[in-house]
Amino acid sequence: MKIEKEPISGQYGKFKIDGIDYRIYWEEAGQGIPLVCLHTAGSDGRQYRALLNDKKILEKFRVIVFDMPWHGKSSPPENAKVGNYKLSTDFYISQIMSFINGLELVKPVVMGCSIGGRIILHLAINFPDKFRALIGLQSAGHLDPYYDISWLHRQDVHGGEVCGGIAYGLMAPTSPESDKFETMWHYMQGGPGIFKGDLFFYKFDGNIGNEIKKIDNSKCPIYLLTGEYDYSATPEETKSLADTIGIEMIKMKNVGHFPMSENPKEFLKYLHPVLNKIS
Amino acid sequence: MFKSLIEKNEKRSQLSMMAQYLNTCFMISTIEHEYLVNIEKGVVKNVEEGPFVMPSYVFKLTAPKNEWIKFLQHTPEPGSHDIIAMLRRKVLKFEGDLHPLMSHLLYFKLLLASLRPAESKNEN
Repeated sequence: MKIEKEPISGQYGKFKIDGIDYRIYWEEAGQGIPLVCLHTAGSDGRQYRALLNDKKILEKFRVIVFDMPWHGKSSPPENAKVGNYKLSTDFYISQIMSFINGLELVKPVVMGCSIGGRIILHLAINFPDKFRALIGLQSAGHLDPYYDISWLHRQDVHGGEVCGGIAYGLMAPTSPESDKFETMWHYMQGGPGIFKGDLFFYKFDGNIGNEIKKIDNSKCPIYLLTGEYDYSATPEETKSLADTIGIEMIKMKNVGHFPMSENPKEFLKYLHPVLNKIS
Repeated sequence: MFKSLIEKNEKRSQLSMMAQYLNTCFMISTIEHEYLVNIEKGVVKNVEEGPFVMPSYVFKLTAPKNEWIKFLQHTPEPGSHDIIAMLRRKVLKFEGDLHPLMSHLLYFKLLLASLRPAESKNEN
């Protein structure tokens, strides 16, 4: 029987992040300009499956997606304990820079969604000369808590069920059910407390505030794209961010918080022109 | 407005599987009207419409009627498509013991969304 093979290859490697060894898993496809993709809180790199299979993108870009430590097929560090994971801004930056340096990537493009859409703002502030361009999906400068995130990690509530339930609502009713289900499924497979630990960065430690004014778009071009159905990072919040930076934002119709996985077909319509500009 | 939660039971067998150990009673309020929903083993057994003198329930979801109407459209607008989205806009309030709701969050989202019309039409 002939199977339909995808062009994606996966690999493990040991990376030193802030002096500690982490076993990281990543997938890649294509060749050309490195395009490092950052997944959302509590999920993993499978969210970018459509990009890793998109022939048009793979002609010009080497798409690389890693699972953050504790996520997907990447391991927690040695001596880890359940319940003590909390993502800080510094640790998030360190893991991205360790990964880029470890793979000896020169001036990559980095694209991140949600927490990834927030961290690219920190990268723009701190290392504008290191990147060819930065792309933020569902970016907002800060997020005030609007529900009690302690529900995401309680021993009397199944973490997969509640995290999946939260993720499901962040998607557009117009996105294909099969893609929504897969996006939700990734959330259902996260480790206990990991989504909640990531949200410490998203809702508290990673809030940007006035630092946003330090971003100089002439040093490193920034592109911001946000789905209309996202109520976590709303199009209005991305617009306010874009206005401060002095760029145009792109509002994506018919998608929510996870454009690349909940409705890849729709998302790629918006992403292709951005990547054409960058290349 | 929410009486038909019970009428579609037969169509919701897959949904009740998601809450097969859930027994609870919750209140849905449109401020003018109140509905007491009784669930046994994930199946909506009864929906009673108020007014009530001394209603007993575990948790309560309150939103103005116009917000529930927006939520119940075939294709709701952004911000009205999900109960947490409504919470974020501060038009929906969760009260009481939220454990049954949060431990079966997807079930409750799909249960309420099951009242949306199958065909697209303007319901206003």
